[in-house]
Amino acid sequence: MDNFEPLDPLLHSQLRLAVMSLLISLEDAEFTFIKEKTQATAGNLSVQLDKLEQAGYISISKSFKGKRPLTTCKITTTGIKAFEAYVTALKKYLP
Amino acid sequence: MKDKLTHQESLSLITEMITQAKRNVAKGGSNQILLWGWTVAFANFGHYALALSGIPHPYMIWLITIPAAIISVVMGMKIGQKGAVGHIDRVYGRVWMAAGISMVICLAMMHTINFNHNGVILLIAGMGMFITGSLLKFTPIVAGSFVLWIAALISFNLPEIQQYPLSGVAILLGYLIPGYLLKRAERG
Repeated sequence: MDNFEPLDPLLHSQLRLAVMSLLISLEDAEFTFIKEKTQATAGNLSVQLDKLEQAGYISISKSFKGKRPLTTCKITTTGIKAFEAYVTALKKYLP
Repeated sequence: MKDKLTHQESLSLITEMITQAKRNVAKGGSNQILLWGWTVAFANFGHYALALSGIPHPYMIWLITIPAAIISVVMGMKIGQKGAVGHIDRVYGRVWMAAGISMVICLAMMHTINFNHNGVILLIAGMGMFITGSLLKFTPIVAGSFVLWIAALISFNLPEIQQYPLSGVAILLGYLIPGYLLKRAERG
């Protein structure tokens, strides 16, 4: 019988998983882009991005685009490994 | 958004988000192809026409590539402003940057390579189109690269002045037509 590995609780959450799935497909993405694609509120998205950054799964850089602040997110090597491990573990749960 | 997911919901969410990301990348490449296609085709035919008319310094028509380069950079920056940069976008940009640098070196050394620069430029453009078409999985662009390579082969066997109309025709068939087909596919 297959061993059912526990799913990474940090990724097994709708918004955080959505963010990681977007970022794994991209070089980097702006906060507004992620907000539009995930349809999350700015406040909730900020909180979840902070959690992912604290875990080392993503890096967040802040700069300016003209006079507007610009937040750009990028998945890290740790994040890629965690996402791959999550997908591998998830496959074992699926029929 | 809810915090707990079923396994099937997780998988669906991953698939949906990857599709969303893909939808936003690798678009707008056709505009660059059309810009450079028309610029280079115009310069090739123009060079040939000016040379036949006996007008001195027909190569001056190639100065048209300077405003084209500026427009190209502005267009590239606009693609970068769509909020996300895809892996393909980055490779695509790098390939054409490398092709552009190679072409400039080739033009600078045209005397050394016995004025066979048109053939070399067609080879480099063919390589760029082949990589671009393969990355985009778009067959007409890959097919275009073979048109450019065949034209390069012919070009190496022609006198310099006849290489210009050949390059112009090759760009029309192997670069612009695939570029328009890509533009139609991007809209679809």
